[in-house]
Amino acid sequence: MSGARAAGHRVPFKRAAVAIALAAAFLLVVALPIAAQSPEGLLWKREWASRVQAVAISEDGGLIAVGSRDNSLRMFDGSGEQLWLFEAENSILGVDMSPDGQWLAVASEDRFVYLLDGKGNQLWNYKAARPMNNAAVARDGSLVAATSDDLSVYVFDQGGNLLWQEELGIGVRAVDVYGSGEKARVVLGSDDGLITIYNREGRDLLQAWLDYSVVSVSVTPNGARILAGAGDGSAILLNGANGNQIWSFKTEDTVKSVSLASDGSIALVGSEDGSAYLLDRDGLLTHQFRQDSEVLSVALASDGKRLSIGTVSGAARIYDRAAALSGAARSSAQRQRTVFAVFGVIALLVLAAVWAARNTAAGQQVWQRSAAGPLGVLQIMWSARLSYILILPTLALLLTFNYYPAFSGLYHAFTEWSPGVRTEWVGLSNFHSLTENRFFLSGFRNAAILVVVSVAKTMTMPLLVAEFIFNLRNRFSQYWFRTLFVVPIVLPAVVEILVWNNIYDPAIGLLNETLKLVGLEELTRVWYGDASVALGSIIFIGVPWVNAFALLIFYGGLISISNEIIDASLVDGASTWRRFWSIDLPLLMGQVKLLLILNFINAVQTFELVFLTTGGGPGAATYTPALELYYKAMRMDRMGIASAIGMILFMIILAGTIVNMRFVSSSTEYEA
Amino acid sequence: MVTVRDGEGAEGAATVGAQAKSGDRAGQAMLSSHSALAVLRLSGGQALLYAVLLILLIVTFVPIVYLIALSLKDNGQIYGRFWSMPDPYRWENFALGSLAIWRAVLNSILTSGSSTAATVVLASLSGYVFARHRFPGKELIYTGILALLMIPPILTLIPAYVLILNMGLENTYWALILPWTSGGQVFALLLCRSFFATLPEEFFDAARIDGASELQSFARIAVPLSAPILVTVAVVRLVTTYNQFMWPLVVISSPKKQVVAVALTQFTSEIGVTDLGPQMAGYILASIPLIVLFSFGMRHYVRGLTAGGLKA
Repeated sequence: MSGARAAGHRVPFKRAAVAIALAAAFLLVVALPIAAQSPEGLLWKREWASRVQAVAISEDGGLIAVGSRDNSLRMFDGSGEQLWLFEAENSILGVDMSPDGQWLAVASEDRFVYLLDGKGNQLWNYKAARPMNNAAVARDGSLVAATSDDLSVYVFDQGGNLLWQEELGIGVRAVDVYGSGEKARVVLGSDDGLITIYNREGRDLLQAWLDYSVVSVSVTPNGARILAGAGDGSAILLNGANGNQIWSFKTEDTVKSVSLASDGSIALVGSEDGSAYLLDRDGLLTHQFRQDSEVLSVALASDGKRLSIGTVSGAARIYDRAAALSGAARSSAQRQRTVFAVFGVIALLVLAAVWAARNTAAGQQVWQRSAAGPLGVLQIMWSARLSYILILPTLALLLTFNYYPAFSGLYHAFTEWSPGVRTEWVGLSNFHSLTENRFFLSGFRNAAILVVVSVAKTMTMPLLVAEFIFNLRNRFSQYWFRTLFVVPIVLPAVVEILVWNNIYDPAIGLLNETLKLVGLEELTRVWYGDASVALGSIIFIGVPWVNAFALLIFYGGLISISNEIIDASLVDGASTWRRFWSIDLPLLMGQVKLLLILNFINAVQTFELVFLTTGGGPGAATYTPALELYYKAMRMDRMGIASAIGMILFMIILAGTIVNMRFVSSSTEYEA
Repeated sequence: MVTVRDGEGAEGAATVGAQAKSGDRAGQAMLSSHSALAVLRLSGGQALLYAVLLILLIVTFVPIVYLIALSLKDNGQIYGRFWSMPDPYRWENFALGSLAIWRAVLNSILTSGSSTAATVVLASLSGYVFARHRFPGKELIYTGILALLMIPPILTLIPAYVLILNMGLENTYWALILPWTSGGQVFALLLCRSFFATLPEEFFDAARIDGASELQSFARIAVPLSAPILVTVAVVRLVTTYNQFMWPLVVISSPKKQVVAVALTQFTSEIGVTDLGPQMAGYILASIPLIVLFSFGMRHYVRGLTAGGLKA
């Protein structure tokens, strides 16, 4: 800064400037690789025109089977070379492979379940009434289980003989098999949230209930752990011995596929939210594999070293787990380098300023004017040490609880943030995902409406009432009206909302009861439950909106208008109406501006008003961005996306504040 | 501000009233030109003002009256005779309601009170330093603090929550007291600094000549003289923190430590009260600290918010 000022004065400046520019460029180069990151741990991928609906992987990750909508099942080796191809009559919906890769069970929309050997030869098939949607095979091929859209499960022996069949009468597509020979067991999950373990003869050994439909299950070879993926987006690990829940992990959309390593210590969860999540033994996220579209199928090798992911866009990707994790670590190292680079640049600027101050004429002038050299400044600072000590507690608190969170929020808006686990730089992808989040978009629209309404409420009713009270001739009435209108301020804000919840209560609320009383029964409704009136109901809260605070401010402004001006207007024969527009309103611009900005800032952050009334519903009808922020952070652990929402709201408030200051103050000057 | 101008306003209104009355009596005087008509129109106008104000007042009070009425009924009275007055009055609702929320109210008073006290102490100290001391970097630091006024709470909510988690303070009173103390300081510092700056320099010079130390002149001169502004800061902070909802909701999970604003919303689920009456009684009881506070501090509250807002 001072360097630029000094540019014209001395030649050495140029040399120093070049040196500093070079150093800055070097620092940027150090930081640059962040932009050119490659997807971490990706071994290879194959892409087709049609969606990949089923993937399976062998124990050592050396064989990968990929079933897709183009009716083909392809077998690849570990390096991605295609070994063989099997074609069914219709799309492949499910595939399972024994750990050694010698047995493959394939379910297809052509209504068949096939058992293949390791070379891709068909051993037998069986046809159901409706498409087969999933299949599983025991490690020795001695048992094959298949689920079908005819709401039944079919269980076969190695030779393709039907051992038993059960019609569940409810959608079923989650199936897995553990154990071998006579000890083989079938684990089945259905749309009513029931997980059942059957023995070879079809007797149920254990049942566990989940709250949502079970879309996929995976079980360890010893049956000790069962991982279930549910329709509400959660993946739940159960103890196979007693059906107790061990942990659960929440994704943002239906979990289409889950896979467990053989010791249950690693879990892979594929969700329609477009990511596959790698979890550790406690259900904590260790890595997130972002895909370009919904994840339909995932498979994890028994040793947990390799994994494959199939997506709607027709891509099958094979990852190396260790490389993916170290890649994440590497990216965090890169981030540290960025931080280092930023601080480096700042340090360089300081250096440049110091250098300029010492070596250029203008800089020296500034230097000497401010102090008698560096020692002088230190001396002054030392002699003022008491001042610094006294403000130290304030500064320490502000830096810790205000400055640090603010910058942390701005930074983490660009990251995938799981505090205590992992922080990964993802660039703009949080913002990108927000543009497709219907809750956020609807929240945005609602926030805009709430801002306009809130400003309108505050600018009309309180001002009107303040004018009316001001125009009363009786001092006594003035006092009492003013006091009474201010009384409601003693209710905590939350209580007002809760009382209004009660007024809107569909069963015994004041509003519906009043409507019944006056014979307008057809107007009664579930005020918060009806998407067409829910937002209106929320806005209506607090009618007639004589906000006590705004009233006091306007009234204070009115009584501070000097009597001379009002008398003069009376003498001139101005009507009350005329006086309001030509005298009161222009003189109240300061108050208007204050209330405008306070209301704007509060309305943009609307949270309680929605959280305590409709909770955002019905659907997304009354969401606000702050509400979505809360849900994302507290219910889905998406701190990064929540920070991105916070950052967007911050920007809006900043812009609104600046506009308000510019626009309203200039018009005040003009009016006055 | 309101007090002083209140007098003026009342005077002004009285003048207008006197004019109107004289016009009424004499049939002419100040508004002589079209007096009779004007008088009629004016008194008609006054009646209209009263009518509109009364209607608005009644509508404003409907929820409060409804709240009080429900708080004195039992479920049978509410569902059976919705429109009738409470009969008999169920005063025991208030006993039940207070059982359910007394702890939350105490939590609120404790956290609001201690964070407010800390804010007042710290902000008056640093406000004094910023107003009266000269030291390198003063304006820079002060601007840096004021810049925080531009940071909305929604931006810092999640990072501050993570910070509290990392500090291991979640679900403790500290998770409320520390951030509230810190956050309140910005506005408090603004008020304190501008007030301290108006105190005449001579007082402090005299104290220095008499051998008072900096801290002594702060404690013996600045603080007593600035009592009104400190009360203002305290009232605003007490009301603000007492009403806080989102932050306690995020950082406090145990019902035993929850503050009243959040506890009220979890009334039924946590305490097992399903009757409406005790619930409504609880709402009223939760307002008592604010009623007490506002009964003496209303003008401080308005002055504080206005000053903070206008200067920001």
